[in-house]
Amino acid sequence: MGIVIQLLINSLIAGAIYALVAAGFSLIYSTNKFVHFAHGSVIAFSAYMLYLFYSILKFNFGIAVILTILFSGVFGYLLNLIYKKLRERNASSVILLIASVGLLILIESLILILFGADVKTIGFLKIAKGLEIFGGIITPLQIWIIIISLLLLGFLYLFMKKTKIGKAMRAVADNKDVAEIVGISSEKIYSYSFIIGSLIAGIAGILVGLEQNLEPAMGTNLMIKGFTGAVIGGIGSVSGAILGSFLLGFTENYGIWFLPSGYKDAIAFTLLFIFLLFKPRGILGKKWGGDK
Amino acid sequence: MLKVENLRKYFGGIKAVDNVSFEVRENSITALIGPNGSGKTTLFNLISGVIEKDSGKIILDKKNITNCSVNKISNIGVSRIFQKSRLFSNLSVRENLLIAIDNEDLKFWKNFLNKNKITREKESKVKKMLKLVEMSEFENKKASELSYGQKRLIELGRAILNPHKILLLDEPVAGVTPRLRNEISKLLTKMREEGETILLIEHDMNFALNLADNVIVMDEGKIIASGKPEKIKNNKKVLNAYLGE
Repeated sequence: MGIVIQLLINSLIAGAIYALVAAGFSLIYSTNKFVHFAHGSVIAFSAYMLYLFYSILKFNFGIAVILTILFSGVFGYLLNLIYKKLRERNASSVILLIASVGLLILIESLILILFGADVKTIGFLKIAKGLEIFGGIITPLQIWIIIISLLLLGFLYLFMKKTKIGKAMRAVADNKDVAEIVGISSEKIYSYSFIIGSLIAGIAGILVGLEQNLEPAMGTNLMIKGFTGAVIGGIGSVSGAILGSFLLGFTENYGIWFLPSGYKDAIAFTLLFIFLLFKPRGILGKKWGGDK
Repeated sequence: MLKVENLRKYFGGIKAVDNVSFEVRENSITALIGPNGSGKTTLFNLISGVIEKDSGKIILDKKNITNCSVNKISNIGVSRIFQKSRLFSNLSVRENLLIAIDNEDLKFWKNFLNKNKITREKESKVKKMLKLVEMSEFENKKASELSYGQKRLIELGRAILNPHKILLLDEPVAGVTPRLRNEISKLLTKMREEGETILLIEHDMNFALNLADNVIVMDEGKIIASGKPEKIKNNKKVLNAYLGE
């Protein structure tokens, strides 16, 4: 019984982190219609920003967190400016995808140059004794990770459903040309989706940074998992990305009940290929094209 | 209201719109007719900014809109429907209509803090429009679940709700039932009486000539005739263009 509960807890933690990454990624994909792999670099950027503000500059933790989140949003906005320049030159989605991979490598390399290759620890939380729930162990930080993720995802859902920007984002995601015809600036919406997606990635970076060690390539692995979650859930659907990420977290963690833990990534990618082969639109994926 | 001066658009060797000039008077219905491939839809795409012109000028209400982006032209006052309905398929019917009147204030923080709620006035405008097109019971249906004719009506409703100075309607009655055709005809007549300015493309000559105050006839990218419907009906050039004589 204990192991089932422990795997359930691990699945929820992994799913919550993947969902934050996938939700931001999917939001950007749905409006911009290209795969923004550099989204992973925003996670690494924010984790290192927190390290800079809190561990090096010795800011108050709360202020360091607020600054990190704000910087992540600004960072996302700046990334979009690079893509905007490419779009103005009629760059296709493939060119933007290549640019995003280039940006991911470039930003990770810059982090490597500035902070070094050795792993860093933020060290805000002292090692805490985990709570025991029906034989499973969970630390207070892990409880916070799950709560903050669920609150953020709920907030994102309401934002998309209830606000004008949320509706305009869904309109641009659905049909950019028609959105323009009714007076919505798609460029403005692209910027907003980058800012919101990066704010969420920034929070994910903070949570991961507090839970694990920091290394320059930390964003790539998370991005791959977030991308996998988004494909499983239905790329372009934010709710699908969240659902897919939790499914991925559960499959990965319960998979290692039967297989050695080294196969965790292999389980994730097997699941990805199963979906790509048999259900390429994912669980909640939309029919491509819509009304044209 | 709308002034088009020496507008030109070539696609390679094809002269889609060739040195076209005309004016649409305020508070009138102007029909743009002509055989297939005569350049009518290209002209609509040029006016609404969907495609870029090669040369010429487009002026709306004394404002030069020639080089403006599509969303800016829409916000200046050009509202349009397409030949084939284009709705936001994953949004509900209500959201499709609401978005036309509820996108003017997209300030980031105002939205983020949810201080930008939909007003009752806008909600009631949407409800009125749904009643007008007899689609109140479909309010919460996804647009993708509607029939062709229903999509047409919602798109027309959205274009009417979108704040505008001129309405560009590309074949508003194509594919709809005869009953709906009459309803749309009555609606457009009523809108003109209320001060609307409409430029419409229509294949059905009778529909266009009965409804319009002025008619512009295009063929091979050029205007071959323009004037009152009675005059156009008997114009030899027009008959030749349609009957290929």
